[in-house]
Amino acid sequence: MEQIFFWSLAIGLLTAATAVVVLRNPVSSAVCLVVALVFQAALFVTLEANFLAAVQVIVYAGAVMVLFLFVIMLLDVKEEARRPMVWSKVVAVGAGVVVAILGIPRLATSFPASQKTLVWGQGKTSGAAQDLGTLLFASYAPLFLLTGVLLLVATIGVVVLCRRDPGT
Amino acid sequence: MIFSEITLGHYLALSGFLFIIGLAGVLLRRSLLIVMMSLELLLNAANLALVAVGRFQGLPDTQVAVFFVITVAAAEVAIGLAILVAIFRVKKTTAIDSMSSLRF
Amino acid sequence: MIAYTPYLILLLPLVAAVLIRLFLHPFPKIAVTCSVGACLLSFGGSLLLLASGTPSGGMAAPTVTWIEFAGLKANFGLVADPLARMMAALVTGVAFLVHIYSIGYLSKDPSRSRFFAELSLFVFSMLGIVFADNLVTMFIFWELVGLSSYLLIGFWFDRPAAGAAANKAFLVNRIGDFGFILGILGTWSLFGTIGFADLPSRASAGVAGWAVTAVGLGLFCGCLGKSAQFPLHVWLPDSMEGPTPVSSLLHAATMVVAGVYMLIRVLPVLELSQVTMTTIAWVGGIMTLLPAMIACQQNDIKRILAYSTLSEIAYMVMAVGLGVTGPAMYHLMTHAFFKCLLFLASGSVIHGCHEEQDIWKMGGLSKRMPFTYRVTWIGTIALCGIPPVSGFWSKDAIFTATASHPGLAAVSMLAGFFTSFFMLRMILVAFGGNPRGEGAKHAHEGPPVMVVPMLILAVLSIFSGLFPVEAFLGAGHEAHHASWTLWVSLLVALAGFIPAYQIYAGANQDPVSIPLLRGKFYIDEFYQRFFVAGQDGLGRLADAFEGWVVRGFIVRGSGVMARAAGQGLRLVQCGQVQIYAAVFIVGAMLLVGWLIRSGAWK
Repeated sequence: MEQIFFWSLAIGLLTAATAVVVLRNPVSSAVCLVVALVFQAALFVTLEANFLAAVQVIVYAGAVMVLFLFVIMLLDVKEEARRPMVWSKVVAVGAGVVVAILGIPRLATSFPASQKTLVWGQGKTSGAAQDLGTLLFASYAPLFLLTGVLLLVATIGVVVLCRRDPGT
Repeated sequence: MIFSEITLGHYLALSGFLFIIGLAGVLLRRSLLIVMMSLELLLNAANLALVAVGRFQGLPDTQVAVFFVITVAAAEVAIGLAILVAIFRVKKTTAIDSMSSLRF
Repeated sequence: MIAYTPYLILLLPLVAAVLIRLFLHPFPKIAVTCSVGACLLSFGGSLLLLASGTPSGGMAAPTVTWIEFAGLKANFGLVADPLARMMAALVTGVAFLVHIYSIGYLSKDPSRSRFFAELSLFVFSMLGIVFADNLVTMFIFWELVGLSSYLLIGFWFDRPAAGAAANKAFLVNRIGDFGFILGILGTWSLFGTIGFADLPSRASAGVAGWAVTAVGLGLFCGCLGKSAQFPLHVWLPDSMEGPTPVSSLLHAATMVVAGVYMLIRVLPVLELSQVTMTTIAWVGGIMTLLPAMIACQQNDIKRILAYSTLSEIAYMVMAVGLGVTGPAMYHLMTHAFFKCLLFLASGSVIHGCHEEQDIWKMGGLSKRMPFTYRVTWIGTIALCGIPPVSGFWSKDAIFTATASHPGLAAVSMLAGFFTSFFMLRMILVAFGGNPRGEGAKHAHEGPPVMVVPMLILAVLSIFSGLFPVEAFLGAGHEAHHASWTLWVSLLVALAGFIPAYQIYAGANQDPVSIPLLRGKFYIDEFYQRFFVAGQDGLGRLADAFEGWVVRGFIVRGSGVMARAAGQGLRLVQCGQVQIYAAVFIVGAMLLVGWLIRSGAWK
């Protein structure tokens, strides 16, 4: 069971991610990114981090990407023009891909902990909201408050940055 | 081997691939918007790795870390897009090549 | 009181020089009086010294400790032993006569205050050499004498030839001084002392081997420079650019013999090495002959006398090399008188012919300047060694010493032949015949200030042969007179007159032409080609090196490289964010890779 879910979700995620990077239309890219984020959330579920999956969908896919799309619509960004193929770039990217495919699995499995297998129900972490919340508000309360400040600062920053000059 | 059990290594490899894809997008795309989206991919790759390790090693704190990462990412996207809009008003384009005035 | 007399004798001319230099330049008459007066007082003092001390006793004035470290003790002190006293009397006496002469010779020169200041400086320096009690003090005064010579040769500094001659004299002297310094240092290191009083005792302890020879030759180098012996003789003929009193005082009577004086002082060191003594003797021997041959073809009256001086000094050097210092000092004394006389006479001739120095443009002066003509004859007889005049006795003493060295005897007697030849040539051409130039037609004698010193010197030239020089040198230096050298040398000298008379009596131009001799054996040209041009070449090489390597490569190069590095690094700041990101990623990956390699996670 675990395998089916993992492999399908993994392939989906990678495909969507590749699509984000490759497509020329920014709207298409944004939509593909949403898809990727949802796949990611599903992967969180396979890792028994349910609350985080929900947060991912609501905040990341729901709020952040909507913001992206708002801006794309606002700016009316056109499709990116085709550029002539630069062979050196192709070769470099190809080489990078080959290295990645060869190297990353090796790297990932080189850690001693990488042999641990996934068996649902035997994880020692609980992804429940209650447990996460306890941890968040008790041990990491200061950081949580700071995050609040951060969001406030971001809000103010956005307002300031997008102000038009007085007089225009 | 890869097709027997799912191990932590699988999740880490997946995270690595995702990271590389995001990296490619950051370095190779011309439009600033796509670059920012690729940045999101990078962050997601990190999140995936964090959760995976936390699950397999029994560390619930990593999930708190992911929580914070998502929050900060949201703030970062907001600010980034605000800057993008401000630049777009001047340059009328989102191409990164045209935003290279800070040079020698 | 008597003990301080050497200091008085030494310092009075210095005081005069300083006074004139600082205050009296605008007052030539007072300057002249000051200088002549100082010289007269010094002369008086030396006569006093001469008369008072017992001939064989030494007498040292109080010394001042000057350098004392690491076993080197150099006092600034004066010693008035018999040799010094005799030399001091000689120097101050001749200097006084030249001072008087200069009053007349330079009576129309606007810078004569400067002349007398420099002359007084010279007397001070020369007396310093005479009275010095150790090599270091002597060396200081040695250099001072060189300075005075430079100043006096280049007295008419607006003449480029004079300036060049002054430079040449100083530089060639310097080369000799280099050897001299090495010799002094060697003396100190070998014998532990540089004082003349200690040298005999320390030297007799005997240190054999090449070190002593080297030291002796080093000291001889100083003599080569100062007394103008081969190969450093080239400056003396050029030094005739200076005024004639300078030529007579410095470059005939006193300064050039300082080298011989120094050799006599350090003789204990020289005697330790037979090689050194032989070298000195032979250098002296060759040098008697070569300048005598060169002089036979010279046309400037002063240059003829200059080469004659070179030859005569070589006699003294040869005598020292043979170990007989008595004849050397004897000849030094007589030579001072008659050579000074000859130079003053030539000055009188030049002055009378209105600054004409070429003998072929003179002529007929025997009738127009009879007194000068006669004193020149006296000087010539003395120079050529014809009895009973003083020069004969001193030269014969030296010939006696060569009796056991046939080579040296032959060379020096042959030199005597040539000496007679060119001196008679000079007299016949300059004084005989008819006037050949405008100046000679209107020649006249000089004023009494110029005549009287010449008269005194003539008298001294005749009678100084009777002066008991040996008594002043201590035991073991008496001169002997062997009979065969006496007759042979006399015959050879007389024989020199015959061809000269036959060729030059009544001649109006020089019938003999030997380019080798007229060109002074081309030694100057050789030096010019080798050393001067070589030095220039080295200088150019150094300049090219400095221009290319130091200035170009190192200085400008470092600037260029900094600039290039900056330009190169500039390219890093491309302004393209993606490139920055790429570099960042690469760096991060390298870091991670390195960490993994070093096993941070294993």
